[in-house]
Amino acid sequence: MKGFFGYNPGNSILHRLNPLTKIVISIGLCLSCFLTRSHIVILAVIAFNLLLSASAVGLKRSLKMLLSLVKFSAVLFVVQVFFVKQGNVLLRLPPGVIYITDKGVLFSLLFALRLIAAAMPLSAMLSVTRISDISNVFVRSLRIPYKYAFVITTAIRFIPLFSEEMTNIMEAQTARGVQFDTKNFLKKIRLLLPLCVPLLISSVRKIEGGAISAELRGFNLRKRTSGYKTYPFGWSDAAALAVCGLIVALTVFV
Amino acid sequence: MLRFENVFFYRESANTISEVSFDLREGEFAALIGENGAGKSTLCRLCNGLLKPASGRVTVCGHDTATVSTSRIARDTGFLFQNPDMQLCQNTVYGEIMFGLEYALSDPEERKRRTGEILELFSLDGGRDPFSMSRGERQHVALASILACKPRLLILDEPTTGLDYRECVTIMGIISRLHSDGTTILMVSHDMEVVADFAVRALVLSKGRLIADGPVRQIMKDKKVLDEASLLPPQIPALAMLIGGDFSDVLTADEMAETAERAVRQKGARK
Repeated sequence: MKGFFGYNPGNSILHRLNPLTKIVISIGLCLSCFLTRSHIVILAVIAFNLLLSASAVGLKRSLKMLLSLVKFSAVLFVVQVFFVKQGNVLLRLPPGVIYITDKGVLFSLLFALRLIAAAMPLSAMLSVTRISDISNVFVRSLRIPYKYAFVITTAIRFIPLFSEEMTNIMEAQTARGVQFDTKNFLKKIRLLLPLCVPLLISSVRKIEGGAISAELRGFNLRKRTSGYKTYPFGWSDAAALAVCGLIVALTVFV
Repeated sequence: MLRFENVFFYRESANTISEVSFDLREGEFAALIGENGAGKSTLCRLCNGLLKPASGRVTVCGHDTATVSTSRIARDTGFLFQNPDMQLCQNTVYGEIMFGLEYALSDPEERKRRTGEILELFSLDGGRDPFSMSRGERQHVALASILACKPRLLILDEPTTGLDYRECVTIMGIISRLHSDGTTILMVSHDMEVVADFAVRALVLSKGRLIADGPVRQIMKDKKVLDEASLLPPQIPALAMLIGGDFSDVLTADEMAETAERAVRQKGARK
């Protein structure tokens, strides 16, 4: 299960940390970019995220992840930049009603950078933590009932599955002559609409199958102590949390 | 019709294809066989440009897949996926068949006429919802919607998987009739009985390499090739090989019955 939400096997320091530590760190790093309004600080957080991710899953995959986030954020930046009307006008587009201001650019840039900085630690955490470990630690350490933990982790697990399903459906439709290989983005979006039906149907079928098989394997019998895995809290976890706390504090005070 | 010239393909998410070369001529019925993970589905996706070769060249109906878009290639090439749910996207069978034709034909009257023809040929009720049909029926609708576009080359990725015997015979009967009418067919199948009964030529793939290419009759008796590809011959040729003699060339049940009858008659005449 590779991709943006996929687990990447490995034995790095991040892989060996307690899953709960990793969850707290990722939430902490997400929060840090919302506690500051400085573009430079957010850029520094992004650089730290990239370093963290590269140390665990390699620079190539980390850069790929960053690039996809940059592309998505760029689209949001373009949409956002036309909605802020305060500040000095930098560019006026014909017929003159639509314009870009300096404040608009700065705000949209902050918005886009925050999105990148907030999504990176989440993706990095999922790439170094098994979904089953996340689910187990929710049940064992946070005492969340198993069925709710299962819902959270299944939602994460299903994202790459849906994405793969969508790719397969698009391939099948392209092979029928539907022009998904067009360069026109708007046309592609229009062509995507009828595909919601097969995606929905196959997803519902998959979920129904998953629910039945979970029932058959004694889903309702599972209790907090059912799991055999333990997740000890070590010095490395304490150190990692301290570093994370320091970063959050720095973003508040810098 | 379809030509692979020293094709090499590698991707993390797909099986590797290396140095594959073959030429599928117009009107041929070839089966692509091999173990799981041999690269059969990857090779099929290379045929219509869904995947592009890393090196080498794939030419289909005169189009180079590296330069021509898949949607353009689709006007001449039909592709039936293993899972029909990937293809079906309309609320009625009629709409489903029309959907494919919208991209292939510009004349609305011609589209309606062709849809009517296909519904009649496949004995389908145009008003039914494809998603409430059985797996076999959905496969039927998917095949019907492809055939409505009258492809010159038909690529079938395991068309009989998950079908019962009756559904399998119906689908293969339609495919066989198409072949008789001149359509070129490339079929991936794990069902060696189906391959022996319907295909004329077999391409054997093992670990991404084409290890054998020849008449099905010859491949089914080649123990070395079948072993290398982790394949078992169908029961009839396997039995025929065990008996040997006049039976050594037997491939299908009908041939087995004929040869056995001949052998009994000859023995009776000698007595």
